[in-house]
Amino acid sequence: MARETLERTGFRHVGRPVDRIDATGKVTGETPYGDDLRFPRLLHAKLVHAPVAHARIRRIDVSKALAVPGVEAVVTAADLPSHRINPDVRQQTLLARDEVLFYGQPVAAVLARDPYAAAHARDLVEVEYEELPAVVDPLEAMREDSPLARTSAIQEADRSEEQGHITIEAEQEQAQSRPSNVSSTITFKRGDIEAGFAEADAVVEGTWRSAMVHQSYIEPHVTIADYDANGELTIWSSTQAPFHVRHEVARTLGLPDARVRVVATEVGGGFGGKIYLYEALVGALAIHARRPVKLAMSRKEDMLAATPAPQAVVQLKAGMKADGTLVALQARVIYDSGAFPGAPVLPGCLLIGGSYKCPNLDIEGFEVLTNKVSVGALRAPGAPHVAFALESAMDMLAQRLELDPLEVRLKNAVEKGDPLPSGQPYPAIGLKECLEAIARTEIWQQRHQTRQRPNRGVGVAVGGWLGGLQPASATVGLNADGTVNVTVGAADITGTNTTFAQIAAEELNLPLSMVSVVTGDTKTAPYAGMTAGSKTTYTVGRAVKLAAEDARQQILAIASQRLEVPAEELEMEDGVVRAKGQPEKQVTFAELGRLTTGFGARYAPIVGRGAITARRQAPGFSAQVAEVEVDPDTGEVTVLRYAVAQDVGFAINPKSVEGQMQGGAAQGLGIALSEEMVYDERGRLLNPNLLDYRLPTTRDVPPIEAIIVEVPSEEGPYGARIVGEPSIVPGPAAVANAVADAVGARIFEVPITPERVLRALGKLQD
Amino acid sequence: MPKRLINLTVNGEAYEVAVEPWWSLLYTVREELGLTGSKEGCGTGDCGACSMLVDGRLVTSCIMLAVEADGCQVTTIEGLATDGNLHPVQQAFVEKGAVQCGYCIPGMVMAAYDLLRRNPNPTLEEVRLGLAGNLCRCTGYAKIYEAVLAAAERMRGD
Amino acid sequence: MRPFAHFSPKSLDEALDTFRREGEGGRPIAGGTDLVVQLKEGGHKFPYPRYLVSLRRLPELKVLEWREGEGLRLGAGLTMSEVVESALVRERYPALVDGAGIVGSLQTMNMATIGGNACNAAPSADTAPPLLALEARARVVGPEGERVLPVEQFWLGPGRTVLRPGELLVEFLLPPPAPRSAAVYRRHTPRKQMDIAVVGVAVAVELDGDGRTLKRARIALGAVAPTPIRARRAEAALEGQAPTPEAIARAAALAREEATPISDVRGSAAFRRHLVEVVTERLLHEAIERARRG
Repeated sequence: MARETLERTGFRHVGRPVDRIDATGKVTGETPYGDDLRFPRLLHAKLVHAPVAHARIRRIDVSKALAVPGVEAVVTAADLPSHRINPDVRQQTLLARDEVLFYGQPVAAVLARDPYAAAHARDLVEVEYEELPAVVDPLEAMREDSPLARTSAIQEADRSEEQGHITIEAEQEQAQSRPSNVSSTITFKRGDIEAGFAEADAVVEGTWRSAMVHQSYIEPHVTIADYDANGELTIWSSTQAPFHVRHEVARTLGLPDARVRVVATEVGGGFGGKIYLYEALVGALAIHARRPVKLAMSRKEDMLAATPAPQAVVQLKAGMKADGTLVALQARVIYDSGAFPGAPVLPGCLLIGGSYKCPNLDIEGFEVLTNKVSVGALRAPGAPHVAFALESAMDMLAQRLELDPLEVRLKNAVEKGDPLPSGQPYPAIGLKECLEAIARTEIWQQRHQTRQRPNRGVGVAVGGWLGGLQPASATVGLNADGTVNVTVGAADITGTNTTFAQIAAEELNLPLSMVSVVTGDTKTAPYAGMTAGSKTTYTVGRAVKLAAEDARQQILAIASQRLEVPAEELEMEDGVVRAKGQPEKQVTFAELGRLTTGFGARYAPIVGRGAITARRQAPGFSAQVAEVEVDPDTGEVTVLRYAVAQDVGFAINPKSVEGQMQGGAAQGLGIALSEEMVYDERGRLLNPNLLDYRLPTTRDVPPIEAIIVEVPSEEGPYGARIVGEPSIVPGPAAVANAVADAVGARIFEVPITPERVLRALGKLQD
Repeated sequence: MPKRLINLTVNGEAYEVAVEPWWSLLYTVREELGLTGSKEGCGTGDCGACSMLVDGRLVTSCIMLAVEADGCQVTTIEGLATDGNLHPVQQAFVEKGAVQCGYCIPGMVMAAYDLLRRNPNPTLEEVRLGLAGNLCRCTGYAKIYEAVLAAAERMRGD
Repeated sequence: MRPFAHFSPKSLDEALDTFRREGEGGRPIAGGTDLVVQLKEGGHKFPYPRYLVSLRRLPELKVLEWREGEGLRLGAGLTMSEVVESALVRERYPALVDGAGIVGSLQTMNMATIGGNACNAAPSADTAPPLLALEARARVVGPEGERVLPVEQFWLGPGRTVLRPGELLVEFLLPPPAPRSAAVYRRHTPRKQMDIAVVGVAVAVELDGDGRTLKRARIALGAVAPTPIRARRAEAALEGQAPTPEAIARAAALAREEATPISDVRGSAAFRRHLVEVVTERLLHEAIERARRG
C-alpha cells in the first residue's frame, strides 16, 4: 500500500509494520473475552425490555417468572437503591421506575442459574403499561404542538461520552424555560451570511438525512459484577473506558472509587458503543444477590437497548464564487438524541464548518428528544452526518460552476491557523495532503475512462475529526531477567499495546521480544482516559514514551555507578549498556534487573513513570474516493473500487494504521449503503438482528486501498496524531457523489438503498 | 425430565455430554466442554462468529441444537493448530494484520480453513464469496482477503 | 427458548409413530436454520412446540434419484449444499441451484434443507419460485397415508402449509426438463449476500421445434404475495407467441400486476412491483437465450 510518509531512518521499531503482540491468542481462540470468563456461583441476568416506546408502568407481576426452576430473583426498580438514581441520565436510571421512555428500555432483571432459564423466565414477567403518545420523528418532535417524549424536564445532561471523543469548550445551551423536546441548542456565526450569499455565483441547498445506525461490534455488551464480603465491587466489562466506568459506578451506587475495581476485558469491538452502559445496573444486581452476576446481551437486546448513533437531519445552504471560493455556509443540524440527552450536536456544528475556509457561517444545532433508545458515540460521532451534507453540496457547487470537485476542495481546504466555527485555530493538519494523495490514485486518475462506461461513476469526499483529550500515565519496569514490562490503564482494541511495545522498545533500544505490555485494572494500572476519541496512542503513547525515557535514565544512572562512566558517555543496545568507545565496559539489563530486584539488592527497582496531560488536539483528516456501478433499473449500487487517504501524523505501526483506515472506511460504506435501524410509527424497532440490520459483508466491500499520509502533529509521540475516527466520515458522501456521477441522481438520504436510487431516478412513482 | 446424553467427538476427542434439548451446540461446547474459542455474536446464524465444522460441514453452531449433533465429528477453532504450531491460515491472519478486536476471528478462520479445503486456489472473488457468512466490523476485510490468499499460496507450496 | 422435548427417529415410519404417540404440540425440525431462530427470537406462526422430532436421520428424506422419463426425486431432507453440489441437479435443474445456492450463507446452506425451506413457508423462500416454475410436485406422508400435490398447492399463507399435524413432506418430484427449455432464478437483495429476497423470480421457458415461438412459459414470484405464486396471466400472454422484446415486456408488466406485495422493512410494495417487472423481463430474455442455445 502506498504511503506519503516521513523519513524512517533513525528509528528501529516505530514507523515499521509489526504483528500485533496479541494476535496469536486471538487466532487460536484462546484470548478470553468477558463471556469466556468463569465464575463460581454465577447468576445470569436477563433484562425485561419494554415492548412499548412510551408508557407509565402500572404494575409488575414477577410471580410466574420466579416459579421457573433455576430462577433466584427478579429485580425491579423498587428493589434498587433509589437515592442516587437520576432519571435524566440513562446509565443512572438502571431500571425504568415509573415511566418507560423507549422501546426496549429495561424494566426488570431476572437472575437465574443458567441463561436459558433466565431468558425463559424473563418472558414470564408480566408488566402492565399505560401507553403514552410516542414521539418518534425528530422534526415532528420539534414542533410546538408535539407531545413530550418525557413527562419531566431534563435538569442535568451527561455529555461525558461525547467529551471523551471530542474535547472542546463551547457553549451549549441547556434545558429551556418552556417544556420542549429540544434539550439543547448550539449556534456558531461568523461574518455576514447574507452578504456571503449575495457574493456567491452559485448557491445550492438541500436537506440531508442520515439513518440511526448501530456500532454493531460483533461481541455484544457483556458485564459481570461481584460484590465481596469486604465491601468491594469488582466489575468485568467489555468497556473502552475502565476508569470512567469506575467513577460512574461508584457515584451511582454510593461507593468510593477506591472500593470499585473495573477490569476491562478484551473488547470485541466498541467503536464508541462500549463506553459505559449497564455496569452500574449489574453492580447493583450483584450487591442485591450477593453473588456474581453476568449480563451478556443477545444481539437483539443489544440492538434494542445499547446506545446506537443518532438519526440526523441536516439542512444546508452553501454559496460559492465562480472561481471556486466558498463564501457562505448556512446550516441547521438536528440530531435525534433518543430518550436521553447526549447527541453529538457540538461536533456536528463544528465540523460542518470545519473542513473549508469560509468567511460567512451561520450554523445552528438542535438536540431533540424522542422515544427511541438514547444515542451514544459511534466513531467520529455526528461527523458522517454533516460530511454527507457538506460534501454533497461541494460536489453540487462544483458541478454548477463546472469546476473539478477535487480542485474545489483543495482550493478551500482548511490549513494550519484557519479557525473552526468556534474560533479555535487548527494546528498543523493534512487535509490538503490527503486530497493530493487521492488525486494520485488510479481510481481518480482513471475517472474519465470510468465515466465512459454506462452507469459507472467516481466520487470524492473528505472529512475530519478533532479528537478527545484526557490525561494519561504509564509505567515501565525492569524485570529480574532484564526484560521490560509496560503497564497502562487503557483498553487495547486497535493494537495500541503493540504500539506501546514499539515505543518502549524504541526508547530502550531493545528487541520487541524483550518488552511486554499489559492493560491493568483500575486498582493496579496507572490512570488513562477512555479508549475513545482516537486518543490512545496520542495520549497514552506519550506517557509510555516518557515512562520509557524515565526508565532509561534510571538504568543509565545505575550503570554509570557500576561502570564508573558518566551517564552521558553510555549507550544501550539490545539489553546491554556500555561505554561509548569502550565496549568492554558494559553491564546487561539482566544484571541490572538482579541488582534492582534481588534479595538484599543494592539499588531500588527501576520503575519509569510517564504522566502527561493533553490540552492540544491533533485533528485528523481523511479523503476518500469511490468508484461505483449503479443498476438503473433495480437501483442496486456496487462499490467497485475504494481508496482512503488519511493523515495520521506518523504511523507508528503502519500495519495497524492501515487496518484502522480500511475498517473505518468500510463502516462508512455501511452507513452509505445498507445500515439503518428502522422504527415504526409507534417507536418500535423493526430490525433488531443482523439479518435485517445489514452490516456490509465481504461481498459488499471491495479490497480498500489505504494511503497513509503523514503530517506530523506537534505533541504526539514521533508526530503521531489521531487515527481511529476520521476514516468513517467521508464514506456516505463519497458514495453519494459517485452515484450522482454515475447516473445523475443526487441522493439526499443514507443509506442509499436501491429503492431510494430508483426514487431519485424518478422510476418509482407511488 | 433428565438431560439427554449425547456423544460428540470434538477436535478428535470423544465426549459424552448431558444436555438439555434446547441447548445450542455452541453453548454446549463452550459451557460443558470449556472450549470458549467459538463466539456468539448474534445467536441467529447471521454473523458466523460461532462457525465450526460438523461432520466436515461448516455450520453456525449457535442455531444448531446440541441434540442434533449427537454422534457427530466436530472441529472447533481450538482444533486447528497442531503441536503448538499455528495452522497456515492462522499464521497468515497474524502476519497480514487481519486481526483487530478478534471476536469474529475464530469463525472467520474456520470459514477460511473450510474454503481452502474445498478450493485450494481461490480468486479474490471466491474468497469474498466464501467468507460472506462471516461479519467483521473492524478490518473492512481487506487484510482478511490478503491473509486468506497468502495462506492459500503457502498451503499450495508455491 | 422455553423447554421442549426432542426425539431423533431413524426412519420415516418411526418419525410418524413419534408424532402419533406424542400427540399435539409436535414440530419437525430439519436444518433448524429458521425454526431455531424462531424459537429463540419469536416470530413463529405456530404455537410454541412441546416437542421436536428431528428429521436429520431419516434416509427416506435424503433420496436424490433420476428416473428416465419420470424425472427427479429430490428428498426434502437434502441440504441446500447437497442440492447445489449434485451434478444431476446442476445439469438438469440449474434454476434450483440458483435458488438453493443463495440461501443465507454457506453455513446456512450446509444446514438448511430444501424441504425445510418449503415448510417454513416464507413467501420469500428462495427455492420456492424455482420449484413452482419447474412444476414440481410434493410427496407428503402422514398418519392417513400418502398424497402427492403440485407445490403450488403446498402453501396457504405466510408460515402456513397444507401439512396436517403429524404429516411430513418427504420429497419433491420434478418432471424431466423438455428439450429447448431453460429455467433460471434470480432475486433482488440490498446486500450482495446474507439477505432475504425483496423479490425473487423464477422463469422456465420451452421453445418449440424451430425456436421461433414459446411453447411454454412458467413465471413464479417470491416475496410479493402471502405465498410464492405463479404469474399465470403473464405466462398465458407469452405461450404460443414469438418471444419478441415487446412480448416479453408485456408479460413482465402483467407479472407486475399479478404481484400483490406488502410494504415492510425489506422494501415497499411499489418497489417490489417495480422489481417484479424488471427482474421478470431480464430473466425471460436470459432463459429464452439459454433455451435457444440448448
